Amino acid sequence: MDIIILGQQLMGYIPLGDIVLYLAPVNLFMFASALAFTTLIAISRTETQVEAGVGTLKDQEVKVDKDEFKIRRFLAIVCGLATAGAMITGDLFNFTLFVCLIGIVNIGIVAAVKQIDVLDAAFQYGLVAMIAILPLFGGAAMILASTGTISLLEIAHIPTTFMMIFGSLLLFLGVAGETGVAPFYATKAEMFRTPGSPFLLIIHLSSLLVIIRVIEILLIINKPF
Amino acid sequence: MANILLNVLIAFLVGSVLFGLQRKIMARIQMRPGPPIIQHLLHTLKFFIKESTFPKTAAMPFYIAITAMLSVIWVAAIIVGPVTQGSLLLIFAIYAIHKIVEHNAGSSSGSPYGKLSCVRAVFSAAAEVPLFAVLIIIYFKAGTMNIAQIISYQAANGPLIYSIPLAAAMFFVLILSKAPYSPFAITKGKDIISGYETEHFGLLRGYLMMSESTAWYMLLWVFLTVFIGGLSPLWYLVGMLALSTIVGFINATTPILNPNHSIMTQVSFALIGIVGSLVLLLY
Repeated sequence: MDIIILGQQLMGYIPLGDIVLYLAPVNLFMFASALAFTTLIAISRTETQVEAGVGTLKDQEVKVDKDEFKIRRFLAIVCGLATAGAMITGDLFNFTLFVCLIGIVNIGIVAAVKQIDVLDAAFQYGLVAMIAILPLFGGAAMILASTGTISLLEIAHIPTTFMMIFGSLLLFLGVAGETGVAPFYATKAEMFRTPGSPFLLIIHLSSLLVIIRVIEILLIINKPF
Repeated sequence: MANILLNVLIAFLVGSVLFGLQRKIMARIQMRPGPPIIQHLLHTLKFFIKESTFPKTAAMPFYIAITAMLSVIWVAAIIVGPVTQGSLLLIFAIYAIHKIVEHNAGSSSGSPYGKLSCVRAVFSAAAEVPLFAVLIIIYFKAGTMNIAQIISYQAANGPLIYSIPLAAAMFFVLILSKAPYSPFAITKGKDIISGYETEHFGLLRGYLMMSESTAWYMLLWVFLTVFIGGLSPLWYLVGMLALSTIVGFINATTPILNPNHSIMTQVSFALIGIVGSLVLLLY
């Protein structure tokens, strides 16, 4: 195999009909990391958050109750699997679907919490994530319309046009909104005040890994050389 | 395998001594005698032989595994960097996972200090990840993300620090933010004790400190390699000493910023660096 993407040798690809998974060192590393963290989330219990009590010298313990634990763990595992999928897919449309799923379950992970400030933050993040769906899919659709394919292996060989650059900008805007990174991070950080460290990990993990993946995808689509 | 072990050992020892050197420089500037240069190394080794205790509020086994993760990813970075000279994008991914570990080492203990550090880590990631995005500018200039090819490019065209100086400055700000006592070290500010490390004791703290030293060495190695080029071991050491000394001077003379100011300053650097570098590339 002699396919080189961004200076890294492609180690192989798995064609599953329309779905093509490609195996390059960066993608495999991020895929393995996402799966490792997801396994860790599945087997971990949550921490007890110790806070200063108001009007007393005693500590106040904030715990995750059993029902909340079950639903949040399920959503965190779904988020981990979606993140792993987004890391390894060689198909632009699947990538956008995985990112969209990550956005939805991220809201779900914190929406189960019974803390007003956290719910407010989740609501605001949810609004941004929902709005971001439009540029996310719109960008992918424009790239499909201008290249005739959603396979990144094919797009890597197609010369960049203005519409591909415009589609990429929309795609980046969509991913930024879905993952809640800058400039949308302000509300998202407040979501991390709730207990449930293993579940919060996956929210942060998915955002950062998806950002790295989208940088890789944008460089594949918009070839500067 | 021997090559990997040797590089890991060098990274740990050199990183630890450079941290010690920084503390010494800071102390002398502040007219204190300061600790010995090998203090950070001694501290790290000391934690490996101390008793390990675990908070009863911790999220097990997550709380333990997160420290192992940190060690593993920086060993992986050494394999990708000095050993195989692989993809820069992979080092970017490793750095992103470092931020996640920083975030969750804090929140997994249940301590309010760790939790505050965790929230600050989320904030700081929003600023540090754009700073790390400087690697894209290197790709635009050198046409590759492969470290070996970037070294070859610089051998033929001269060091990248001359052609994309703003990108180098951005990366230096990132390095600065990872130094203890730096103006951007909000995740380990003394107002929250030791930040995300506060509730990790004994062996686990030893692993955290060992990984920090390795991470420091790796960040300096990446800076020297991608902005100056492939150097001999002696010149790498000289370069790392020089960078650590500059960082020591900055840390000694600047207060730690509050989280909002820290993020806004870093984001401003990132914005100026990215836009400025792109303009320099176009003209």
